[in-house]
Amino acid sequence: MFTHYLFVFAQVHDEFRIPELESIAELHGFSIKFPDNPEDKKTARPFMVLGLESEEHAKVLSERCILVKYICEFYARGKTYEELHRENQLRANQWQKYAADTSFKFMVTAFNHTIPQWRQKDVVEGFSYMDFQGKIDMKNPEIILACFEEYRDKHGTTRAKDEGDGEFEEVWFGRLIEVGSARPLVKKFDVKKRVYYGNTSMEAEMSLLMANQTLASPGKLIYDPFTGTGSMAYTTAHFGAFVYGSDIDGRQMRGKVKPPGIIRAAAQYGIANRIMDLCTFDVTQNPWRCGGLFDAIVTDPPYGVRAGAKRLGRKNVRPTREGPPPVHAPRPDDQPYIPPTRPYELSELARDLVLLARYMLKPRGRLVFFLPTVTEEYKEVDVEAMLCEGMELVANSLQDFGSWGRRLITIRKTTTEEYPPPTFDPAHAVTENVASHVPAHKDFREKYFQGFKKADTEEADQDSEEQQ
Amino acid sequence: MLQLTISHLTEILPIVKNSFFRVLQACSHNLCLLLFPQLNTPPLRHGRIPPAMVRLITHNLLACHAKGCTTNNFPLQFQDVSIELRETEFNADFIRGFLPRIEYAALVSAARQLGDTSLPAEQPEMVDDEFLQKLHHVLLEIHVEEGAMVCPNCKHVFPISNGIPNMLLAEHEIG
Repeated sequence: MFTHYLFVFAQVHDEFRIPELESIAELHGFSIKFPDNPEDKKTARPFMVLGLESEEHAKVLSERCILVKYICEFYARGKTYEELHRENQLRANQWQKYAADTSFKFMVTAFNHTIPQWRQKDVVEGFSYMDFQGKIDMKNPEIILACFEEYRDKHGTTRAKDEGDGEFEEVWFGRLIEVGSARPLVKKFDVKKRVYYGNTSMEAEMSLLMANQTLASPGKLIYDPFTGTGSMAYTTAHFGAFVYGSDIDGRQMRGKVKPPGIIRAAAQYGIANRIMDLCTFDVTQNPWRCGGLFDAIVTDPPYGVRAGAKRLGRKNVRPTREGPPPVHAPRPDDQPYIPPTRPYELSELARDLVLLARYMLKPRGRLVFFLPTVTEEYKEVDVEAMLCEGMELVANSLQDFGSWGRRLITIRKTTTEEYPPPTFDPAHAVTENVASHVPAHKDFREKYFQGFKKADTEEADQDSEEQQ
Repeated sequence: MLQLTISHLTEILPIVKNSFFRVLQACSHNLCLLLFPQLNTPPLRHGRIPPAMVRLITHNLLACHAKGCTTNNFPLQFQDVSIELRETEFNADFIRGFLPRIEYAALVSAARQLGDTSLPAEQPEMVDDEFLQKLHHVLLEIHVEEGAMVCPNCKHVFPISNGIPNMLLAEHEIG
């Protein structure tokens, strides 16, 4: 039996909203009933009425979902207050129990607007038919009744103060039961306040959303194979998981002073003990003894704009030398020998990552990673083509930057079969499943630095340059 | 002119304020020391930052991966190591879930090499809480800080520096 709850979300990263709710529901083993009307499921608006089986579930969601601001027991909605009050009266059985002697207060607020004080009072008085006899307590009321007016985005227009007041799109009403307590974590994990970070550190809000996609919780083991400065390690560890991090470049994990930067930042958050260990190696030449180890793999692979992905080997293969391998003299710093590396093309890396995850994850484990794509060239098949047998797409949420964007891809390992480790052989990297469409993340670095120009417009540019 | 002074003031004010507080702090600290000499301990900041170290659980999961090194490449042998014990939260489910992935004999020998004999030589058939506690201690609380891990087969030396093992392979070792 589902009861309706009014959710108020932070109007950011809207494509991440539903995957986050679904992940937390899956983690805690309950289900959410989404609206049947597709119009009400749209995430362009901050309000959504969802069905939950118990108030306890609302509490769980408000404590864990980064994008949840408020959850109310839903009473009514309307295009006008008349409509709202009519619906509210129909649901009197839900609120009548508070009428006799429960202390209460009203919260009247708006999205994309500020309601002037005098009208807030009018709004509250409009509910007088509810006939609440309890004490009005502004500090510690037993219940809070919340009324939200939703206005169209007036961004970028000039207007007089209070202009358009009351001309809302819709108004929502309910009993406030939870204030999102996970949202303040965005401040806690603010990169600027972190004792150790780098130019590729993931912003706090996104690394928290990623952690939720991994279903991080106490007793789980999570791995980041491109850990860098450890942004996702902190958030996943915060939710109780043990975290392994590895990177081909140990300097990223260490920083310049001892102890290593990631450990220092983890200590700042009180979770240094949950950083299982850090390790320097190339994931394509990894020393993991066996597969099936991790509950989740979470990573932001370098895609070549601020940092390029690297793997061991040389760009230009030299003829093999005869004789014994060369002996490298120890170097004065703590890196005795630094082997040569070569670039790691993104579509190759993404495909390898899925295969690696199938090998390294436990059944039902999740792979969560960012994939940058060129907006114009992106097709759904790009992501589908990365999948392989036993791996299923759970979510694909776009963070849009205009001409390009990055997609947070969540993939679940559905198979219980054990697969061999990937060969990481670039020869198989050809996108064999999609002969017709070259994925929009292939050679992303090159496309980025060419400003995402299409091949033909580029020729046109060259022509015009020649004419000049 | 007025603007200039105001902007100067706002600039200077925090500096003045800060130095004032610092002087005050220093004075009161010295005064406290005079009155209560036993308080003379270094101030704690952010709590204690533990040094990074390799845990035995990690040691139990890493094998030599050099080209062609496929037999007798596990477990890696510790060399010139310094160890430290550090408490970690106990999660019985985590240890129990991890048990099937452990190479038990390798774990016992690594622990004994580091001077810990708490684990029985053979894995008991009954996994009780006491055994899980012991496993927890060996897997998660014994840390190797410095030293190296050496492949028993190809003798590749993987150095551990600042608690981070360097498992990178040389050019001739990849393939």
